[in-house]
Amino acid sequence: MGETQPKMTAKEYSKQLTKEYYEGAKHAHEQGKYIAYTTAVSPAELFYAHDIIPIYPENHSVMIITRRMTAELSESVEQEGYTTHLCAYARSDLGFRKLHKSPIGGIPDPDFLLACNAQCFTLTKWFEVLSRRYNAPLFVFDTPQFIRDKRAREEIIKYVMEQIYEMIEALETLTGRKFNFDRLREVVEYSRQASVLYKTYLDLAAYKPSPISIFDALINMAITVYLRGTPQAVTFYKMLVNEVMENKVKKGIGAIPNEKYRLYWENLPIWFKFRDHFNLLASYGAVILTSLYAHSWSYDFDPSDPVRTLAENYASVFSNVELEERAEMALDLFNRYSLNGSIMFLNRSCKAVSFAVHELRDIITKKTGVPALVFESDMGDPRFYGESQIRTRIEAYLETLDQLSFERERGLIA
Amino acid sequence: MKKEEVLETLKVIAHDPFPYLRSKRETGKKIIGSPLADVPSEMVYAAGFLPVTILGTNQPIVKASAHLPDNACSLARSNLELVLNYQPDSFNGFVFPQVCDTTQHLSDIWKMTIPSQFFASFLIPRQVDRKSARHWFYAETGRLREQLEDFSGKKIPDDALRESFRLYNEDRRLLREVYRIKRNAPGAISNRRLFDVIRSSCFMDPKDHIPLLRDLLNALEGGRAGDGNVKIVISGIVVEPSQLFDILDELKVSVVGDDLIVGSRMIDYDVPDRDDPIEALTERHFAKSPFSPIRDVGTRLYDHLLQLTEETGADGIIYFHIKFCESQDYDLPDMKRIMRDRGIPMIVLDTEYQSVTRSQTKTRLEAFVESLYGERVNG
Repeated sequence: MGETQPKMTAKEYSKQLTKEYYEGAKHAHEQGKYIAYTTAVSPAELFYAHDIIPIYPENHSVMIITRRMTAELSESVEQEGYTTHLCAYARSDLGFRKLHKSPIGGIPDPDFLLACNAQCFTLTKWFEVLSRRYNAPLFVFDTPQFIRDKRAREEIIKYVMEQIYEMIEALETLTGRKFNFDRLREVVEYSRQASVLYKTYLDLAAYKPSPISIFDALINMAITVYLRGTPQAVTFYKMLVNEVMENKVKKGIGAIPNEKYRLYWENLPIWFKFRDHFNLLASYGAVILTSLYAHSWSYDFDPSDPVRTLAENYASVFSNVELEERAEMALDLFNRYSLNGSIMFLNRSCKAVSFAVHELRDIITKKTGVPALVFESDMGDPRFYGESQIRTRIEAYLETLDQLSFERERGLIA
Repeated sequence: MKKEEVLETLKVIAHDPFPYLRSKRETGKKIIGSPLADVPSEMVYAAGFLPVTILGTNQPIVKASAHLPDNACSLARSNLELVLNYQPDSFNGFVFPQVCDTTQHLSDIWKMTIPSQFFASFLIPRQVDRKSARHWFYAETGRLREQLEDFSGKKIPDDALRESFRLYNEDRRLLREVYRIKRNAPGAISNRRLFDVIRSSCFMDPKDHIPLLRDLLNALEGGRAGDGNVKIVISGIVVEPSQLFDILDELKVSVVGDDLIVGSRMIDYDVPDRDDPIEALTERHFAKSPFSPIRDVGTRLYDHLLQLTEETGADGIIYFHIKFCESQDYDLPDMKRIMRDRGIPMIVLDTEYQSVTRSQTKTRLEAFVESLYGERVNG
């Protein structure tokens, strides 16, 4: 595309886009626009194509978490029975609605809710609570586990495509406007471009030393999560990839000096700790490069058949495939990024990504021959973060890797 | 058989079905296990297998912890424990439904840790109010039929399906009859016995179960009438351990209705007579009462319970929450508020398969029951 790129850094542009996005949402109702809540993994293209603003309560919750507001907000709803073992995003959100505290002045109320369960089932229940509260329709976009059975997959895609048409009908009912499929093709084309560039960006981690760490990826992920389907997202990732190529890759500058261990991270991050983790790991020459979670938005869209491509992409995310296939996806990252260690976080908040972590570890350690660290905590609730215990375990793990590489260098082990 | 004899037989099978299942296996029957909920037993039976609902274990968790974290729901953990540790050889295969994150992962873990001759995922729709849900259920049930046919090596004729529907419908009809007697004459059968009888149907060939139910009904006909006990609707998915029913009996509470999965939702919905048997199963599926993890229409999850409470004239609701069932956790705050607003007394008990804090539970229930008697006097 021939559009001109703004004269600023990618980081500045990302800030500007985020600000505009939330400002736009804030005034949506005044301008007669509709607000739809949706899950991070969901066919949000349908909203952009129909001029509805998608809002991601999960994203807002991440902001609540990184500003360390979760404990207070969560406690306010724990009294009502939303217990501490529920998702910290949900508790942060429900607490925000009770105490009206938010790092960005809140998010607007929904006119419509979409819960895509390829990502998780929890969101359906959380959105069910919101749907009752705001008396707004909830559309459950149901994606049965994308099992490796040819016939099942064909049927699943058929089922999911049928739901896209149902969803379009629901949006037409909501707005009283006819849905425009040409516009959908255009939006999916923007999504395709943003996804390809986002994946290109993540794949920069294959360079040695890697110019980016998972922490960079997590920060830069936000734009594709909530703006994929817009030309701005495409521009942003173009700028970002160019910058990293020019400023880091071409100069051989890594995310950390003296990169020694290139690690895989399993699960979502511990949002309120990731800078600490980065620094602790860096002091051992270790850097986390990637995770399947960050790759959840590396879609591969084909705009010529937008309904089918949306169905195929959203049904097949890592959290909705069988464990063996998910392990293969992780091992593919191991190979492509030359990883030599993995930290597997058992996230109390996220049953959907955590529950089979022991089996996943077994497969991955067996196939790679590299030990993995499994530890339990919570992505958003500091009350479940044992500072000294986790630090000790991470240190012990890195020392194990040191010992292994020492023995390997001296030919003591294969 | 006499009433007590029948009840004892069913109670024994309800709580340890494995000797019965072994005897079936010795006759060459293959046993197909399925966790809750909504796997069409009729289909498995018509394929020549014995369908068994896996209802967990109350014995200690020993092996499951290495595979499933401690904050997985008690039902999932005890299901895995049962088959991994206590009954590793009791099943020939599994038809595995997925309704939530936990059951989806349990399915993956199960496939990797429990060797079996047959494993079929049964991916039920997690929504009920759109056409697509029906199309999907129909397709998935058809897929299940083919998988069962592949395993058995022979086709499932439509007539075999219809015969299976007839047997299971008859079994359910008789169970509803027992329940009806309990509702009208609470003294005729205890809460514990009633739910043991329902539970036994999860494990037995209807051909074995039906005669026992007939004997039981003959013996119950002359049952005692109303006993003046408080009338309760129980709500939730399962009531575990079953000793909780004993406590209800000790407190002179009469269950007059429930929305449990191992309860009314299992016995209230017959397969209708249709030309296309898969269509008949589909119709039955969507006739069912709400189930927490499945997105239902609007607020039907609560409306159904309200209606049940009203229809049965219950004095209050006892809600059984399975520890770490997040689906129920999300339902409860609003449910409590709705019941409070309507003036319907409700108590929530947090339950776990491996333990029952008997004295504490009893004390809480006692206070609740007393308050209900108080309401009766004052009301």
